[in-house]
Amino acid sequence: MAKVKPSNDDPTRYPALGRSLLFLEKKENVDRVVYGLYILCAGLFVADFIYYKHVYLGIEEFPGFYALYGFVMCAMLVICAKAMRLVLKRPESYYAPDDVESEDYPEEQLERVDNDG
Amino acid sequence: MAEGFPIAFLFFAGAALLFALPKGKARAALLLAVPIIAGLMVWSLPEGNLWSARLIGIELEFMRVDRLSRIFALIFTLAAFLGNLYAWHVKDTVQQVAALVYAGSAIGAVFAGDLITLFLYWEGTAIASVFLIWARRTEGAYHTGMRYLIVQIGSGVLLLAGAALYHRETGSLEFQAMTLGSLGTWLIFIAFGIKCAFPLLHNWLQDAYPAATVTGTVILSAFTTKLAVYSLARGFPGTEILVYIGAIMTLFPIFYAVIENDLRRVLAYSLNNQLGFMVVGVGIGTELSLNGTASHAFAHILYKALLFMSVGAVLFRTGTAKGSELGGLYKTMPLTMIFCVVGAASISAFPLFSGFISKSLILSAATHDGYYVVWAILLFASAGVFHHSGIKIPYFAFFAHDSGLRPKEAPTHMLLAMGITAFLCIAIGAFPAPLYAILPYEVDYVPYTTTHVVTQLQLLFFSALAFTVLMRTGIYPPELKSVNLDADWTYRRFLPDLIGRLSGLIARFWGAKMRFWLRRRDQIVSRLFQEYGPEGRVAQSITTGSMVLWIAVFLGITLIVNFVS
Repeated sequence: MAKVKPSNDDPTRYPALGRSLLFLEKKENVDRVVYGLYILCAGLFVADFIYYKHVYLGIEEFPGFYALYGFVMCAMLVICAKAMRLVLKRPESYYAPDDVESEDYPEEQLERVDNDG
Repeated sequence: MAEGFPIAFLFFAGAALLFALPKGKARAALLLAVPIIAGLMVWSLPEGNLWSARLIGIELEFMRVDRLSRIFALIFTLAAFLGNLYAWHVKDTVQQVAALVYAGSAIGAVFAGDLITLFLYWEGTAIASVFLIWARRTEGAYHTGMRYLIVQIGSGVLLLAGAALYHRETGSLEFQAMTLGSLGTWLIFIAFGIKCAFPLLHNWLQDAYPAATVTGTVILSAFTTKLAVYSLARGFPGTEILVYIGAIMTLFPIFYAVIENDLRRVLAYSLNNQLGFMVVGVGIGTELSLNGTASHAFAHILYKALLFMSVGAVLFRTGTAKGSELGGLYKTMPLTMIFCVVGAASISAFPLFSGFISKSLILSAATHDGYYVVWAILLFASAGVFHHSGIKIPYFAFFAHDSGLRPKEAPTHMLLAMGITAFLCIAIGAFPAPLYAILPYEVDYVPYTTTHVVTQLQLLFFSALAFTVLMRTGIYPPELKSVNLDADWTYRRFLPDLIGRLSGLIARFWGAKMRFWLRRRDQIVSRLFQEYGPEGRVAQSITTGSMVLWIAVFLGITLIVNFVS
């Protein structure tokens, strides 16, 4: 299937649900989603101080433990994984020439749709 | 139908009946009818040993029904139904027969009351499932299938050897809780461990699942590994080593999942990680933790199938499942995207989704029993699984950069299968009571407490925050066309290389030895030739004529002696 971005793409031909999500095309809307996430995170962090935390372990009582643990460990996970890539990454044909290729898909299954305007 | 009739046979009969039907809708309908009938039968089965047979002097228990086997059989029939609905369009007889025989074998194994019956079905799952990989009919899939088959059959052989030794030690073949110690039990343990994808024995999973057909992977994801989890829960509950094995299993696959490009392989890694949670539950061995294992297996089969279905639908429509090739598909496949997000939320254990009410049982059991480090690892793994399965899969497939692909929405039957599965994921998450009611033990656990909900949301949203920050700062590793070395490197590269080098070395040594002896032979021959050849020293003094003369003289003497005497 063509990998280049269709030049004369007509969004009105997308499914209605897809069209309703097209606001994500605009960068400022993506930024809004991200700011929403920031606010949500801040709110969840603060929430730790305003309810009685019923926990088993001492470490869980630390304010924002779950938030910090989640953030730090995930950042570490990605950075470690990125470092692992330096050692472990190989070309796709490393084991055999057609090792990871999929079969030719029957054209009728792809049911190409023409979104051109 | 007689009560206690082995449900596996129903699937085998269905597979045989398939050939009598014309290709198309009738066959697809049969593929749906068999799991429905089986599911209703499982639901109404009484407990006890319901069906046994004698074979070469061994009593085989085909239908040992109790709460543990029933819940696994139930989810297996449900998974078979959903998988077959997803595969409604498939006309390939090989795949249809394989799907039925595979599901039947897995259900048969779950009901097996003795180790020999277990072995028979154990091998049944191996042999049936490999055809779901070979059905892709590519060279890569053929070789992958071969590797998969060798590993799976190997596991069966170990199980049989273990069963034989166990029988010699105890005089019993009953499949019951065992204690690790003797060679027999260790062999059985390792056989289960291979199928359960223990660390270093795991690579068949990541190798095979992305290599199967679109629908084959959905079916594969449900049975083999969860059968192994069931077997561990039945055979080795409370075996402490499993706690640590499980913890490692939750940990290392998430690193691979972050850098893997093939989204189906990412899911295979996260499947491995989820198995780790279940194995920890078996290892702790309390009623709470075993309930956790059973409920997590139940929830997991559904959301993992849902994720494989959504990525499979993308593969079906675009011809690729590589993160580097995809992106922006939400525009034309919005429903598939939504179902994928439901699966992602379920595996990440968001409140109101199924993972939330099942995984927490295992985490609670870990804290109750004092496994604090293991608990911290499981918590990290929970955050990590959200990171790579919860965010990465939907993000790179449906959002990220626009790949320019504008595929059609998934076919109706696939949407229907995904819709039902997504509904079940949410239903279980929002109303856990019916699931809790069929768990092996009485459940005394309330998942929805303020603390649990808030702490879980904190963990997940801050993981999402980490992803966002790393993505926007460009630190997040991009999806690249590549493969990553894993434990399978040992048998796909290192050992073949080693054997190649050793054989080269042996060949050189042999060649040198041969050359040495050939040279010696040549030397001896030429020396003899020098001595006795026509030009040789011996030939110079004694001529042929004198030899003939002497022969004549000796002949004459012999005649005279003969004549005189």
